[in-house]
Amino acid sequence: MTYRVLILVILLMMTLTSATTLLAQTKAAKAYTQPKTPWGDPDLQGTWTSDDCINTPMQRPANLGDKLYLTDEELTQREAAIARQAENDKQQFVAANAQANVNPPGHWGERARRPCRQTSLVIDPPSGRTPDLTPEVQARVVPRGAGNNPASWEDFSFYIRCISRGVAGSILPVIYGNGTQILQGPGYVLLLQEMVHEARVIPLDNRPHAGSNVRSYMGDSRGRWEGNTLVVETTNFLAGKTGIGLNGGGTPTSDALKLTERFTRVDPNTINYEMTIDDPKVYTKPWKVGFPIAQEPGYQNFEYACHEGNNAMFNSLSGARAAEKAAEKK
Amino acid sequence: MFNRLTVFIVAIVLSAVSFQAQTPAQRATGIPRMTDGKPNFTGLWQALGTAYWDIRDHGAQNGPFYQLGATGAMPAGQGIVEGGEIPYKPEAAAKQKENLKNRLLLDPEVKCFMPGVPRGTYMPFPFQIIQSQRDIAIAYEYATANRVINMGKPKEGAVDTWMGTSNGRWEGDTLVVDVTGLNGQSWFDRSGNFMSENVHIIERYTFADADHLNYEATIEDNTIFTRPWKISLPLYRRKEKNAQLNEFKCVEFAEELLYGHLRKK
Repeated sequence: MTYRVLILVILLMMTLTSATTLLAQTKAAKAYTQPKTPWGDPDLQGTWTSDDCINTPMQRPANLGDKLYLTDEELTQREAAIARQAENDKQQFVAANAQANVNPPGHWGERARRPCRQTSLVIDPPSGRTPDLTPEVQARVVPRGAGNNPASWEDFSFYIRCISRGVAGSILPVIYGNGTQILQGPGYVLLLQEMVHEARVIPLDNRPHAGSNVRSYMGDSRGRWEGNTLVVETTNFLAGKTGIGLNGGGTPTSDALKLTERFTRVDPNTINYEMTIDDPKVYTKPWKVGFPIAQEPGYQNFEYACHEGNNAMFNSLSGARAAEKAAEKK
Repeated sequence: MFNRLTVFIVAIVLSAVSFQAQTPAQRATGIPRMTDGKPNFTGLWQALGTAYWDIRDHGAQNGPFYQLGATGAMPAGQGIVEGGEIPYKPEAAAKQKENLKNRLLLDPEVKCFMPGVPRGTYMPFPFQIIQSQRDIAIAYEYATANRVINMGKPKEGAVDTWMGTSNGRWEGDTLVVDVTGLNGQSWFDRSGNFMSENVHIIERYTFADADHLNYEATIEDNTIFTRPWKISLPLYRRKEKNAQLNEFKCVEFAEELLYGHLRKK
């Protein structure tokens, strides 16, 4: 009997404690205090995903003008659409008589858990549309895509070749693999991105950039703190590789590209991410993309052995050669 | 009042004694440490030597392409296998010889595949360790391979992977990393020394002094080997003023080799 009372008392105490903790958490959320690492840097660590903005277009539809944010009513509609999608994703099989398609099942992809309030990922200029390309770039002949007859691997994007999606392409939301794991050590920030297993080592000690002949797909990054915001400046990019688009698509940037990224943690589970694109050889003026990235329970990066398992490249090329051979015989 | 003070003093003395008792065995001096006193492995590290050619003792030899002349030859080097011999089972020893013979077709490094553990440690590329107050990450220059060492409650990998699942713990000042979930497709070197998907690797990272680490890895794989065996080598801190992890995205250096026969003629 005494034992039972004891258990009851313990249970009661546990409930009270958790209630107090909950209250404390609610208070903390209201007045967010940026946690610090033991060595004193703002602590941004965790795995953050850009999933919520999956349905947000890069450029704003022209009819929306300068309207960057959805109204509450529009947001509610998006919420309902996300709920419907989640319900569809639960279906393991196509219903009898329903039209089957060749797309992978819904659970293969990542989905927004809540709608992004923005109407475009481009946040500056106010039109939400990328600035004009320079006349030199406009005059350049755009190479034709591989289509169904690739002559070689070079007809495919750097993403399909499993080389890189570039800095922007590695964080802009796509069908899956939208996670950025941030890990910090004294003097460094490390960004780990799932697709094509990118690892961006960002020193914080004000060292100068690498020499201008050391060029790379992901560039040369230097970081600093402005208050609680991590500011990362990246230069030394290779010219004519990836662009500022989903998976590194879009007009390839030049060797003059300078990216300035800002990571600001605004609550325990949200970082506001912003990137300024300054490439005077390609764009007539600098512009910005920006969107929130969020921490989600259970969301983690996996090893994405892209090149190791790139059977699609082999199959596409051997398929094209086989089709040519068949055509010759006719 | 007097009593309380006595208790306080006794407590201080006791904690000082217990702290000192640890000193000779566990606390090396002059090495970088985190705020909590753990060794801080953050930095750019690299192995010297030629274990990337062969982890066993080897003499200088011709390289596979005469066109490269002396630059393509294999330099001599002392092995990193303790005791010198890898305890292969007979059929595995035969497979290693086959691997070596067909190295240009089979070596995952030739194809720019991720190096796995422990091979990434002693390739001729640096790697960057970044140590947080919790987990520790390693970013290898070769192929942008990377892994995060989980220092919390041990986790099991969801699937086997090239870089495996790393669970770490501290034994005094030594970082002990238990690596499981490797897919068994990695080699140890360019000489065809190999493992299976049943491999289990226990790595130990210990500071020798501020700029040198002693690295050890115990390899257990009863499919391939008759007993567990060990490699050990020093790792050197890159001291050049402007040393940094560079990008070596080697896919494009391997595409002609992998897909060249499928190019439109």
